[in-house]
Amino acid sequence: MEGVATTLTTWNAGRARPTTPPRATFTQLARGATLGRPHDSAQQRRVLTATLALLAQDAPVDIVRLDENAD
Amino acid sequence: MANSKKIRRQVRSKMEIVENLEQWQKEFEEGWLAHLKETGEYNWKIYAKIKNQTAPAGPRVDLSQSRLVLISTAGGYLHDSQEPFDAPNTLGDYTIRLFPTSTPFDALAYAHDHYDHTAVNQDPQVLLPLNHLQNMVAERFIGELAPNVISYSGYQPDVVRVVNDLIPAVVEAVKTEQAHAALLVPA
Repeated sequence: MEGVATTLTTWNAGRARPTTPPRATFTQLARGATLGRPHDSAQQRRVLTATLALLAQDAPVDIVRLDENAD
Repeated sequence: MANSKKIRRQVRSKMEIVENLEQWQKEFEEGWLAHLKETGEYNWKIYAKIKNQTAPAGPRVDLSQSRLVLISTAGGYLHDSQEPFDAPNTLGDYTIRLFPTSTPFDALAYAHDHYDHTAVNQDPQVLLPLNHLQNMVAERFIGELAPNVISYSGYQPDVVRVVNDLIPAVVEAVKTEQAHAALLVPA
């Protein structure tokens, strides 16, 4: 969207990478729980903070892999 | 960011949502869609995948001075006042719903048949981080939130309809929300 900076986070790197998003974080979290484990506010905030922080950079931004998983 | 790895990509100067969309459509119609019509079954092994080569450019924003809109593909809608998305439709639903960012979670339902709802039913913030985002506004990490969340049901196999139907509706909604930045949380 021209004029609107965008960022996203996803567990589905394989599907997202070929779409070349302008800013993105990739995790190893689960389908249906993109931001983290249920009731794990700390994890959800880490993912949100890292993803939103990309907005401070001109796009395209190198995709960032986060060490976050659903275990 | 701890343990983050960066992946370098090419830059494209002109915004194209999907490169070679006509070729994608041909592969989609002759492959996955034809199989579905003939057998009534999905075959994701033959689904045509998007293969962009370059990424769109765009300026940064100071989020602490910006309005952020949340875009969700979880299929959330107001169960008392909005029609649900057509989740059983094998060809997907390409419409959007808007609901206030202040909506209590118990006012929402999720019409999307292609992910397990156990986690979002336990804790909606796994997909709709409304409380987190409001806290981040209070902390001044985010300037403000858009009045509404832009919601759709993310099972949308026809990328041509995504480009021609869904994305224009989302773009119009983002403009109406007067957002400076957008966060997409796919389900």
